[in-house]
Amino acid sequence: MKKHLSTSSLALAIALLASCAPTKEPIKIGYIGPLTGEAASYGADTLNGTKLAIEEINAAGGINGREVVLIAEDGRCTGADAASAAQKLVNIDGVIAIIGGQCSGETLAAAPIAEAGQVVMISPVSSSQDVTEAGDFIFRDYPSDALKTKAMATYLAKEGFAKMAMMTENTDFATAFRNALTADLGEEHIVFNEVVEPGTKDFRTLITRLKATDFDIFFPNAQSDAVMAAMMQQLREQDLTQTAITHDVGDSATLGEIATEAVEGLLVIAVPSAGEDGSFGATYKEKFGEAQATMSFAAHAYDAMNVLAKVMETAGTTGTAIRDGLYALQGHTGIVGTFHFDENGDVVGIPYALKTFQNGKIVTLESIPTE
Amino acid sequence: MQLLVNALIAGSLAALIAGGLALVYGLLGIFNLALGQTVLLGGYATWFLYQELHLPLTVSILGGVLVGILFTALTFEIFVNPFYRLHRFLPLVTTIALSMIFDGIILLLFQSSPKSIVPGLSPIQKIAGASISNEQLLLIGATLILLLLCAYILHATPLGRRIRATVQHEHAAMSLGIPTGFLFRSVFILSEALAAAGGIFIGIDQNLSPTLAFPITIKAYAAIIAGGKGNFWGAILCAYLIALLEQLLIGIHWFGAFYVPAGYQSTVALLFIIVFLLLKPTGLFVTHSRTA
Repeated sequence: MKKHLSTSSLALAIALLASCAPTKEPIKIGYIGPLTGEAASYGADTLNGTKLAIEEINAAGGINGREVVLIAEDGRCTGADAASAAQKLVNIDGVIAIIGGQCSGETLAAAPIAEAGQVVMISPVSSSQDVTEAGDFIFRDYPSDALKTKAMATYLAKEGFAKMAMMTENTDFATAFRNALTADLGEEHIVFNEVVEPGTKDFRTLITRLKATDFDIFFPNAQSDAVMAAMMQQLREQDLTQTAITHDVGDSATLGEIATEAVEGLLVIAVPSAGEDGSFGATYKEKFGEAQATMSFAAHAYDAMNVLAKVMETAGTTGTAIRDGLYALQGHTGIVGTFHFDENGDVVGIPYALKTFQNGKIVTLESIPTE
Repeated sequence: MQLLVNALIAGSLAALIAGGLALVYGLLGIFNLALGQTVLLGGYATWFLYQELHLPLTVSILGGVLVGILFTALTFEIFVNPFYRLHRFLPLVTTIALSMIFDGIILLLFQSSPKSIVPGLSPIQKIAGASISNEQLLLIGATLILLLLCAYILHATPLGRRIRATVQHEHAAMSLGIPTGFLFRSVFILSEALAAAGGIFIGIDQNLSPTLAFPITIKAYAAIIAGGKGNFWGAILCAYLIALLEQLLIGIHWFGAFYVPAGYQSTVALLFIIVFLLLKPTGLFVTHSRTA
């Protein structure tokens, strides 16, 4: 209570200060994400989440009286497009901070440009462990895969699975996950390990080969739910009944809709569901309809924008001040939970959950705490 | 055996689109880069009719093809016909514009999450040790019938002769009383009806997402280059051939020693283009074209 009082009085004091300050210019915030292309569903959810946060901030009078405007750029889930998007946002538009990228490949390519321009970037959904090292100005409110591959390896060992068949889509996120998991599981436990070009949807011949392989667990390591659906359907069509396990990409309601019984029982290790119930989800659905991939992506983007606004309120709008403010932040309670950032800009406080598909719907089996 | 079935499924899809391309580019000589968008449109329209309006599947499929045809008629009148007369290459530019506009429209209308016309699994048949679903059998059969019909009309009927005459020399054909404008239009539209059917195929067998058209278009180009420009039979045969090679490349335990990594699968079509352009630019099945 006491802390509450002091922050609100501080905010009041700053609001008073700001009201006599001369600058009323809008605060420009950039957004990078896949608005078109195979991963466009992530872009739709995160962009809408960001927009919702900004609308609420502006409705409440903006940040210290300054309106927030969003400039969205398409990163197409590729490094090249994200880099040119970052160039434009940082060097031409002169944004104060960026919400993005979404695909890990986008974030990694945009990071050096944001870093050079001293612009803070918060990624809502990039999970590749390489993002940890991406730079001083690069944050994310989504947990790194470094811990997730460990969680998956621990789970598999506990359940007695020892022979994994893995199909990987050749993207930054999926290959990084593959490499980390290979290290955590041990090479000898991976009996089938193929990498396919992004967007491939014909896996029949690989699955024919898989039939001759002795494996006990299948891991569709795809970048998008469209590709994962094809993998699972074609696997089940050839009568392979082994258990399957996957990462966050499987945490998609669409997957249940298009692959139905092919994904029944598919295990998913992902962030806990967030925002589905409660007022956030209700407001979101009223404005934008159902989430394209998953509501928790929208919630992570919403929280990223809000945490940024919270820091800017006290620290101002220079890049270095925002960066220091984010590192100093003590627990922000958003839709996805209460979190802060560690010295690498990685989020602390978001656990994982083990989920599965039952009758086409995603249900949570257990929570997996991160140490 | 399963490899052959896999190749048949992939090949049928490639052949449908290659067939469309063989008509529009091989025969008419028009570059239509919006072909992939027609593929998508056919698939999405069918999905909409079947999943959202709950019409019977057959009606939805016909509806999907019809939407494809309407779209094409519009494309032809607005984006191709006015420009084609001025310069042969102009539609190259206008159809790129069209394809970009359409990518955006599809994203707006159907959003980015993938769609499946027939979700889930379908009953599987075992034929000589290979698994294949009823739907896939139907798709393969329907494709063959459609393509054979087109090839037959084109190469073995008076109508086909008139079409080929129009393509060879429009003015000469016109002076012999052939309605060239009409034929031109109908071949163009037929080509895209095939493409729309290809989209429906994808929507039933896999799932639709707004970006899948491009790799298929590449395969189709490889097939018509290898098959010989203007040769409908050749294009179709080569589409099946490329699909078979793709499956064999990664499906066979080469020399009993190693598997080719799956990432190389998509290079088959590109290698095909390069090899044929270098060694036999006229294609596998060259038709002797008479020069006046």
